[in-house]
Amino acid sequence: MKRSSRKPFAVFAASIAAVALSHDVFADATYDTLKSQVDNLQNQLREVKDQLKAQEKRVNDADVYELRKRIEQVSAQSEEWKNADSVVHLAGYGDVSYTDGDNQNGAVSAVRFNPIFHYQYRDLIMLEAELELELEENGATANNLEYLTVDLFVNDNLALIAGKSLSPLGQFRQNFHPSWINKLPTAPPGFGHDQAAPVSETGLQARGGLPLGGNSRFINYALYAGNGPILEIVGDEIEAIEAEGRTSNDDDEAVFGGRVGIIALPQLELGLSGATGKVAGEDEPNATRSYRVFGADFAYHWRTLRLRGEYIEQKVGSEVASAAPAAAKWQAWYAQASYRFAPTNWEGAVRYGDYDSPHDSSDQKQWAVGVNYLFSANAMAKLAYNFNNAANGSAADDDGFQLQFAYGF
Amino acid sequence: MNRVMASTRTFNFFPALYLGLSVTAVLATTPVDAENSDILARGAKSWSENCARCHEMRDPMEFRDDLWRPIVTHMRVRAGLTGLQQREILAFLQSANNRMPEPRGNVTDSGVPTRSTAATDLSGAEIYQQTCVACHGQDGTGAVPGAPDLTAADGPLAQDDGILLRHITEGFKTPGSPMAMPPKGGNPALGGADIQRVLGYLREKFGAASQ
Repeated sequence: MKRSSRKPFAVFAASIAAVALSHDVFADATYDTLKSQVDNLQNQLREVKDQLKAQEKRVNDADVYELRKRIEQVSAQSEEWKNADSVVHLAGYGDVSYTDGDNQNGAVSAVRFNPIFHYQYRDLIMLEAELELELEENGATANNLEYLTVDLFVNDNLALIAGKSLSPLGQFRQNFHPSWINKLPTAPPGFGHDQAAPVSETGLQARGGLPLGGNSRFINYALYAGNGPILEIVGDEIEAIEAEGRTSNDDDEAVFGGRVGIIALPQLELGLSGATGKVAGEDEPNATRSYRVFGADFAYHWRTLRLRGEYIEQKVGSEVASAAPAAAKWQAWYAQASYRFAPTNWEGAVRYGDYDSPHDSSDQKQWAVGVNYLFSANAMAKLAYNFNNAANGSAADDDGFQLQFAYGF
Repeated sequence: MNRVMASTRTFNFFPALYLGLSVTAVLATTPVDAENSDILARGAKSWSENCARCHEMRDPMEFRDDLWRPIVTHMRVRAGLTGLQQREILAFLQSANNRMPEPRGNVTDSGVPTRSTAATDLSGAEIYQQTCVACHGQDGTGAVPGAPDLTAADGPLAQDDGILLRHITEGFKTPGSPMAMPPKGGNPALGGADIQRVLGYLREKFGAASQ
């Protein structure tokens, strides 16, 4: 009994001792953990203080002053290019075409690159030049100076332009022919080289715009005096008028002409063109004859619809002293519509053109129907089919399609 | 004989040309204030009316300010623009490159400042006529390629105010459009309250509530 009464006491004492022992152990562990945390915090605090000191050391009034000065310098530099007296700009376009027709093998038929250089001094002078680099059938590269002009801006309504320029007669040759602008892969019949439409001219131009009340209505004009074209005479016929700017004037006769356009409505431009002078064959400079050009054109746009049309004719008079004494006339016209199916990038285009020359074998009537995809405002793929009607068996009579990728920059 | 006649014609032509140039030359060149909102609006209008006559509309923010200078000068020659039109178009295109400064103060979830100030005292209708009509048209259906139809039920006005305010303020390119609307329609003089007023006008004039 005694033994049993002592046993609970022993158990209690042992429990007390165990609890006391475990408490001590727990207290030590907690202390160590807390101490470690405090140490870490102290270290972190020290690091933060060091960083703050470092920052304070780095940023002082002198630094702020220097920084402000630097910002001012950079700001001034950023304005330098914006307000420079002389600026240089590279623009242009390029295209690659694939052609396949009824009587011709499918081939990549055109690879062209037309860089355009702009050098401008203030708002006073601009030099513009366009080169055309074109791959030829034999793999060689043809190059041509499409135009080079020095433009002097006399005032708000007049610019004097000297050099070789795109012909100001009509609209297609001077404004619509670049491949990134032209809605079809080809030029309208009669608007190519040595056909009905003059391509370029070398001489002096006066160009500008005159307001017609308000900003949306105005007249634009281009008046020129130039060396004029020459005649390509083969046998007793005039083969073609080479109406491309030259630096010679063998017949010593100038050609005068111009175009006046009226923007009567903001979306509509109507134009009339004309030129007059004397021309002669390349090998018979003294056998001069009369030379006349007449043209009319319009351009209209409404949302994504564009309508364009143009008529042009070149006439030369008879000249008994010439190997080709008869008068001759080249004329062409076209009407074109294109519409982009917004908001998609797909566009449809259709054009009818008619070209008449003194040679029946060169005459051509053409329907061109195309579908374009505009990757952007300056890049598009064009797929077109041409229904041609010309002298039987001639290349101009072949129907065919063209695929063209064009990029303007 | 032909040679003599041609020489006479040449002699007559150049005095006539000289006289014409002299008369024209008395017209003074008028500088433009690139900060003037009227000029920017006229520039936007000229740009939308003249550039599309020949080619697709290029994005006003496609080129840097310094590059727009020779480009617009070149286009003056090509399109037969007046010098004033050239400078106004250039002012508009260069202003289109001016991005909106970082918003200050509280902003909504869409990033539009909740507290905005008016920079003009124009009504929404006046701002629309001054800045927006050149591209969006009098009837809101779009006057230039790429401008969306504001009257369409599923058009831009179907979106929340916050989104539209941000688009107007920061500029926006409609999917499929060849060009973008520049920030504030190319008129940096507009303040936040101006833009809210013009948006209110758009909703009243072209939104579903007006139909």
